[in-house]
Amino acid sequence: MPVNSSSQDSSFRGEILAGFLAPHPPHLVYGENPPQNKPRSQGGWENLRWAYQQCREKIKALKPDVILVHSPHWQTVVGHHVLHVPHLSGLSVDPIFPHLFQYEFSMDVDVELASAIAEEAIQEGLLAKKMTNPQFRVDYGTIVSLHMLNPDWDIPVVGISANNSPYYFSHDVAQDQMIKLGRATQKAIEKTGRRAVLAASNTLSHLHFDREPDCPEDMSQEHVFSHAQYLYDMRVIELMRQGNLDELMAILPDFMEKTFAEVKAGSLVWMLAAMGFPTMPAQIHGYGTVIGTGNVVAEWDLTTARVAEVLTR
Amino acid sequence: MNSNIEKAFWLPGLAHLALGPAENWTDLKHAMTRAGESALAVKPDVYILYSAQWISVLGHSFQLDPNPSGIHVDENWHELGNLNFSFPVDVALTKRVMNFAEQAGLATKGVNYPGFPIDTGSLVFQHFFNPNGDIPVVILSSNIYCGKDDSMALGHAVSQALADSKQRAVVACVSSLSNRFLTEDISPVQDRFSSPEEDHWNQKMLTLFQSASYEEALRLSETYAKEASPEMMFKAFYWLMGVLEDKASRSAISSSSIPPAFLHHYGPLWGTGAAVLEWK
Ligand SMILES: [Fe+2]
Repeated sequence: MPVNSSSQDSSFRGEILAGFLAPHPPHLVYGENPPQNKPRSQGGWENLRWAYQQCREKIKALKPDVILVHSPHWQTVVGHHVLHVPHLSGLSVDPIFPHLFQYEFSMDVDVELASAIAEEAIQEGLLAKKMTNPQFRVDYGTIVSLHMLNPDWDIPVVGISANNSPYYFSHDVAQDQMIKLGRATQKAIEKTGRRAVLAASNTLSHLHFDREPDCPEDMSQEHVFSHAQYLYDMRVIELMRQGNLDELMAILPDFMEKTFAEVKAGSLVWMLAAMGFPTMPAQIHGYGTVIGTGNVVAEWDLTTARVAEVLTR
Repeated sequence: MNSNIEKAFWLPGLAHLALGPAENWTDLKHAMTRAGESALAVKPDVYILYSAQWISVLGHSFQLDPNPSGIHVDENWHELGNLNFSFPVDVALTKRVMNFAEQAGLATKGVNYPGFPIDTGSLVFQHFFNPNGDIPVVILSSNIYCGKDDSMALGHAVSQALADSKQRAVVACVSSLSNRFLTEDISPVQDRFSSPEEDHWNQKMLTLFQSASYEEALRLSETYAKEASPEMMFKAFYWLMGVLEDKASRSAISSSSIPPAFLHHYGPLWGTGAAVLEWK
């Protein structure tokens, strides 16, 4: 496993280097034509793909030991699950857009960190499980976010499921669970000495068109689903840019209700909680729509925040 | 009821029925076995399967791979092991259904991709109803944006296609009644309905099916969907009514046109309402 051995010394206190809001429309992989994906395109969705390009460079520079991703398309109803097979590979076909995404995946999983997350989650009072079946087909949300952040796949990963059951109860229960899961993730990273990058695999507004053009990458057909949805995305992004997470958290329930926002799956709250709800401004790399949904690629670089903290001491 | 349709079934579709220790959920498994045997006894030319676990958003999806095969692992109950599958799809009949659906104004999408994820429910059906994998199947998705009328229209398209092709079919929908799972780990003996109200509502609907009171069931269906959270808002029921009802009396389901349902078993399955129903 190509990991940074010095940082995996157990005496080293691990840390989260950065967090990315990393939406997973399969269109982005399709538009790029990587060798792993069978369908071919003429491009498309460049503003989002170029945004990811900047993140790739950033991640290369940070040299993390591991990238963790929380995906809405690995849905579990009994507990929060972590991938726990050292190497997973296979063909992942998107059930909604199979014509765009037939991806041969191959990933190394940081099972030690995955174990630690499951244990810490249990300590937090959550139900957590390890996915140990080597035949498991990894979901397209996990794969798209990871591919777009690191197409070389040379950094081990941890995949975390989206537990949908909290929404049987109330929004507050769901948020509370994701905050605990974020805290558990942060503790596990610290204890295992990992230098980690987080990825929240979420689209913002999620109302979308239910018919696509004959040529899916025909960008003359791509536009926001509605002005109202666009305005709400901009309001959410502006709060990220301001580092105003208190207000962001306050409006999330309404945002989810009005725009069917995919952040309901909990990935964003998990990531923000793991990072301790940083008040630094998020760096927005790009915004774009995919079949009408609103997607932003955003970054919270905690290393610069830490440097700034040291300088002001 | 279309004379080409020999039998119809309503079935649960969780992985526990096909995988895991034999001594778990035995009543439900026995009911599924009996239902499967009943279907096989009529030697159908084809199965028509609507799985509420195959969710589509770009219209209605139809399986067009002539021979889906592979290994499936359930995303929640991966520890139960693998579902190996290989079965034939009746592509010609599927295309016929798609044509009728399009004529009814529905958006359709055929899928034919190696590695396409077949849902757990469809494979649980195969396990009990197609153990030798030799009966061709037509599989339709559950469109998340589709309401009562469109679901019934989709059912009609099936009925029309069968009348056209003159094939003898068994139709099935794989769908939970109430669909709220218990959110903790349980042993099978601890299984119970997620709420008594949901159980109550499920039983109310089952009683209506058993007495062939489909008009009343349709009248109550939206309240039921609100009170008991059936899988995919009970679309499978609307689809089945669309398949089974007499085309001539489309505007009002005539109680006499669809026979009463026979209940093989009803019980909880990880908190959800699992019913094995048969229409002869
Ligand atoms: Fe998604």
